[in-house]
Amino acid sequence: MRIRNLFYFLGEALKSVVRHGWMSIASIAVVAMTLLILGCFMVLNFNVANLAEDIKEQVQIVVYIDENADEQTRENLHNKLVAHPELDEVRFVSKDEAMERLKRQMGDRAYLLDGYTEEDANPLRDSYELRTKVPENISLVAEEIGNYPGVGYIDYGEGIVEPLFQFTGVIRYIGLAFMVGLALTAIFLISHTIRLTVYIRRREIQIMKYVGATNWFIRWPFIFEGLILGLVGAVIPVLVVQFSYQAAVEWVQENIYFVTLLPPQQIGTEIARILMPLGVVLGILGSTLSVRRFLNV
Amino acid sequence: MIEISHLYKQFGNDVVALKDLNLVIDRGEFVFIVGSSGAGKSTLLKLLLKEISPTRGSIKIFGRDITRLKGRQIPLLRRNIGMVFQDFRLLNDRNVFENVAFTLRVTGASSKEIRKRVPLSLELVGLKDKQFKKPDELSGGEQQRVCVARAIVNRPAVVIADEPTGNLDPNTSMEIMKLFEEINVRGTTVIVATHAKELVDYFQKRVVVLDRGRLISDQERGVYIDAHKEPLLFPGGGA
Ligand SMILES: Nc1ncnc2c1ncn2[C@@H]1O[C@H](COP(=O)(O)OP(=O)(O)OP(=O)(O)O)[C@@H](O)[C@H]1O
Ligand SMILES: [Mg+2]
Repeated sequence: MRIRNLFYFLGEALKSVVRHGWMSIASIAVVAMTLLILGCFMVLNFNVANLAEDIKEQVQIVVYIDENADEQTRENLHNKLVAHPELDEVRFVSKDEAMERLKRQMGDRAYLLDGYTEEDANPLRDSYELRTKVPENISLVAEEIGNYPGVGYIDYGEGIVEPLFQFTGVIRYIGLAFMVGLALTAIFLISHTIRLTVYIRRREIQIMKYVGATNWFIRWPFIFEGLILGLVGAVIPVLVVQFSYQAAVEWVQENIYFVTLLPPQQIGTEIARILMPLGVVLGILGSTLSVRRFLNV
Repeated sequence: MIEISHLYKQFGNDVVALKDLNLVIDRGEFVFIVGSSGAGKSTLLKLLLKEISPTRGSIKIFGRDITRLKGRQIPLLRRNIGMVFQDFRLLNDRNVFENVAFTLRVTGASSKEIRKRVPLSLELVGLKDKQFKKPDELSGGEQQRVCVARAIVNRPAVVIADEPTGNLDPNTSMEIMKLFEEINVRGTTVIVATHAKELVDYFQKRVVVLDRGRLISDQERGVYIDAHKEPLLFPGGGA
């Protein structure tokens, strides 16, 4: 492609966008709407994933060691835990350390514990804090470990953890399904809208062929047109999502402070990084697919 | 310059549009192609532009057999043939200048060249003062002049017209035909398919008569011949 032609093609594309104003607005609106919905779902999905990740990091199995277990049993237990293939992290917490933590947690009222801090008076037990490699496997692993000799009892938030994992799993699948569905819808709608503009202009294409235009000469303006429509159509939802998410984050921070959302900048760049190329690709794909049918004159 | 030999064109299984056509047209000739509706005139012109391909036979233009042209080479062929249609086929959203310039742009001409050659072409057809008008602001005759300007702006060796006066009144038709004559005088080969008996008789050019896909008459300084109205002259015509 010659430089002279490049400017001509770009000019033609721009003129065409303006000349077919309503069609262009319709195409842009279609791209913008679908990408906007897609963007919203992405924001939701990112945050749910983030939340699930957070929760996963917090779930752990606490194994309280039987007070009556002897040294040998304790050592066997330790070795078995360390060697366990499903476990990621095995941390021993002595009862002294547990007492320290408790004190810290109680802060001002730590004096209430004063009577219990002596070695023999400490009512807490030695324990292990375990993390599984796959957080979703926690209940299975806990059940297994519960049968090891030397284990007093086990705590892993049973009854809470399982439904939570189910819930985040379902949310993620729904989000993914929605995103795929929307992307397909967007491709369908855009190619249809552009096919309509190409159809309206099939006469023009035919005339171009009659005066000796090559297929690429005909194609380029349409490609640029698709690119422009896709790009504009993507910029709108990127901005809308960015600003409304920023507002949402500010509101949440002020009102529901225990929920931590992903930072707006991160979301903004993530959304832009996905939606902009998607818009461009959708636009170009839509226009080249649609123009192909009319090139055989 | 154009050499057609044993040309056949069949549509589907039963429509035979051209049958064993042989025709040679030299550089600088003016040829009328006449014949009743369905005789195969448009089919012949479409074959020359390689809009369609023949079933059999060869078409040599500028010494090359265009029936063997690859898709990529068709645009180059068309840049050497100016085409004028009955229904004008102008771009209605562009002005006269742009419509004519279009042919040059397609070839990648510079804007300098375009600014030089479009006015020359518009001058020849007498539309220089209407160059900024849109096609729908022009009369039919003026629109056809724009088409002619568009067809010649590239200085093609051949101009082909398919019923260029089909939508015009007799006076305007005469003007357009005179325009073709002038273009021909300047050295361009002109091929015009037409039904306009009066014009064909008036200009006394070479006349090629087609009847149901066959060439039944080819005369220098000929007149319009209707194979069906004068069966006695050509008793075997079209059989
Ligand atoms: N694309 C096509 N498919 C099938 N048949 C066709 C096609 N184009 C032309 N024909 C047939 O070929 C024959 C010749 O048609 P053509 O258009 O060449 O006639 P013509 O001489 O130009 O007629 P007219 O004076 O009415 O324009 C006709 O019988 C027509 O029906
Ligand atoms: Mg015809």
